[in-house]
Amino acid sequence: MPHNENPSETSPLSRRASLGALVLPGLAALAGCATGPRAASDSGAVHVRDLPEFPARPGSTIMEADGTRTFRNHELRDQDGRVVRFQQDLMAGQIFAATFMYVNCTGICSDMTGQMTKAYDLLKPIMGNPVRFYTFSLAQDSPADLKAYMQARGLYGRPGWYFLTAPREVIKDIRWGFGFSDPDEEVDSNLNGHTGMARFGHHRLDKWSSCPALANPVLTARSVVALFPPDKRPELAGLEREQLSPARKIPNYQPAPPATDRSL
Amino acid sequence: MQGSALATGAFFINSKFSLKMLAEEPPSPFTTPWIQPLRFAPYAVPLPDFARLDPAPIPELHQRYEEFAPQHLYNMTISEQLVRPHPQLGFSRCFAYQGSVPGVTFMARYGTPVLCRINNALPSVIPGFGSCDVITHVHNGFHAPESDGFPEDRFSPGSFKDHHWPNMLASGNPLEAKGTLWYHDHCLDFTAQNTYRGLAGFYLLFDSLDSGTERDPNPDAFRLPSGVPDGRRVRNRYDLPLIFTDRRFDQNGLLAFDTMNMDGILGDKFLVNGLVQPYFEVERRKYRFRLLVGGPSRFFDFWMSNGMTFDVVAMDGNMLPAPIVANHVKLGVAERADIVVDFSQLPESTTEVYLVNREDQRDGRGPTGNTLPMSTAPRLLKLIVRPGQVQDPSQVPSVLRPRPAMDIPVAQERSWHFDRSNGMWTVNGQLFDHNRCDAFCKQGTAEIWHFSTAGGWAHPVHVHCEEPMVLSYNGKPVGGTILGGRKDIFTLYPGDEMSVYIKFRDWLGRYPMHCHNTVHEDHAMMVRWDIVP
Repeated sequence: MPHNENPSETSPLSRRASLGALVLPGLAALAGCATGPRAASDSGAVHVRDLPEFPARPGSTIMEADGTRTFRNHELRDQDGRVVRFQQDLMAGQIFAATFMYVNCTGICSDMTGQMTKAYDLLKPIMGNPVRFYTFSLAQDSPADLKAYMQARGLYGRPGWYFLTAPREVIKDIRWGFGFSDPDEEVDSNLNGHTGMARFGHHRLDKWSSCPALANPVLTARSVVALFPPDKRPELAGLEREQLSPARKIPNYQPAPPATDRSL
Repeated sequence: MQGSALATGAFFINSKFSLKMLAEEPPSPFTTPWIQPLRFAPYAVPLPDFARLDPAPIPELHQRYEEFAPQHLYNMTISEQLVRPHPQLGFSRCFAYQGSVPGVTFMARYGTPVLCRINNALPSVIPGFGSCDVITHVHNGFHAPESDGFPEDRFSPGSFKDHHWPNMLASGNPLEAKGTLWYHDHCLDFTAQNTYRGLAGFYLLFDSLDSGTERDPNPDAFRLPSGVPDGRRVRNRYDLPLIFTDRRFDQNGLLAFDTMNMDGILGDKFLVNGLVQPYFEVERRKYRFRLLVGGPSRFFDFWMSNGMTFDVVAMDGNMLPAPIVANHVKLGVAERADIVVDFSQLPESTTEVYLVNREDQRDGRGPTGNTLPMSTAPRLLKLIVRPGQVQDPSQVPSVLRPRPAMDIPVAQERSWHFDRSNGMWTVNGQLFDHNRCDAFCKQGTAEIWHFSTAGGWAHPVHVHCEEPMVLSYNGKPVGGTILGGRKDIFTLYPGDEMSVYIKFRDWLGRYPMHCHNTVHEDHAMMVRWDIVP
């Protein structure tokens, strides 16, 4: 399995995860906890810096001075049972597509996984590095269940695709943080009507978009690629756009100078 | 009129939840109202006659290019600009058409085709909301699809795209003339974010009747209040394009946009032409206000604070068959109303009057259906009424532009049901796929489309290219109401049904139809339909 060449109890997503887990054991499982991003010091040690309190509501995030977004650093487990931290391992600096499902879903999940698999195939050259897929379990599926689900669909071992599970309140916090909430509590907690939307994120640029995960996989793949700055966008087969009147290059184009005050 | 009917209609948007959601957002910093004058975008300036675009446009890429050979060439650039919407706020990074937020105002005329080259000079890395990819759509433009701004035709910095805007009448019929159009970004997944950053402006069209001259000697001319301000040139100008938006600002006074909000974005600051709560001095005479709701998600119910009446002369840029006297007008996102307000009817003692929004809306899902009390409704624009009578050569004719005949036999009826399933927008139960055409409409035919919606959501549905005419709204005829002309936005409140008649005429190709709550639009509340030979 390419992403698990050196199996350990903690995820290879980030080597800092293990120390993070030691520093704050169990704290992140609580929706209301306020854990912060960690910065590695010169010695490689990890310390937690003070953060303002997260607002009490689920899904809230903190905007940092550098324009990035900090989520609560929940603890989750992936399909191999390894501990990963939401902010530190899954969000910070990552480019990803995130969806929600559960193993025993008799509704849209199977189709959704199928469409995301096709999108994965289109994105294959960039999957794992730098793009990742996160699939969050809405029903506290065990890592073993998730692994079996992946194996049954030929997804296990694919670089960059993580199936993740955590207590219900943690998943709710993550789901709300991605905007997939309903103000009506009854609708919001109804598993049968759970979201079929995919959230696309480029954390470092704080760039976010969303489209139905059940949509044409070409659209999903294009939405992921569109998160990249144009000069860093990979050119992938199958994602070409048919344009009736294609845009052309500006001759001798010089990138724009810094913005100046030109309001009305 | 529609507004009255809607105000008494049944709504079941749950206000208790809406209030909860509203409380979650920190308020924008305080701003003192009415300390800055209303301003206007400068006109778009065509290239001099001798100038040419380099490289030259490629006629073969455009339908009927030679037939409508461009007489005016524009070379417009989209760039990043620092913009401060109020002196007590900070300078936010905005996107500007030709250096202006809102974008420069096009003063176009029927019979004068235009080629507009749009250059993308945005930075290639834009942290935060907004995309450096752009594609421009002239809203309600009767354009071929290659120039219409299909969302997937987005292009990146360092590139340009030529838009052929022929300014021609649909099937050559003068009754098809339009007036108040606007243009805005239409980038797939990022329309709300890019227009929020400033990519929107007016595209005004004039013809021999709505000629833009209140002293027009042509006996058939409407002679409505005229003179569109050009930048800071506002003296003796009585035809005011006004784009109303709502925005939120962070604690540093910078523009803020909740990219995780799936319902719709509401701001707590009201802006007119990009400025928070400005003032404008008016003379005691008639003015034409071109009201445009710029989104992304807020609906408006425009009233004058003294309850005075005005004439609604056009909806969605189309002259009504006859003016309608009203004391308010309700508009969904992207709808327009041209109203003529006569300040000469005010008593001498009245020195100021406000334009207010009495629509009660607590979240992005749509209005609650309640009308806010005049005393607490947000005031948008302060109008300071100058003393002394002035000459007013303008008029509001009793007959404007009759509705075009529905003279093409109906070939087919279609239903479009806008709904939501598993948190995803659906139209007729299907998700958007721009590679899939959901309606092949034969050129030279007409159809009847039935719109309906479900759930507690309001959706202003926008049809590109062809302008349908409303046949019935919730089973009732619309003659004599503000729905009685041609429309390009069909605002569906929860449970609404609307039937429209639509022709397919001059252009061939793919067009979208979508919800113009641009947050819904960006989450794929869209269908593709094609006009085929």
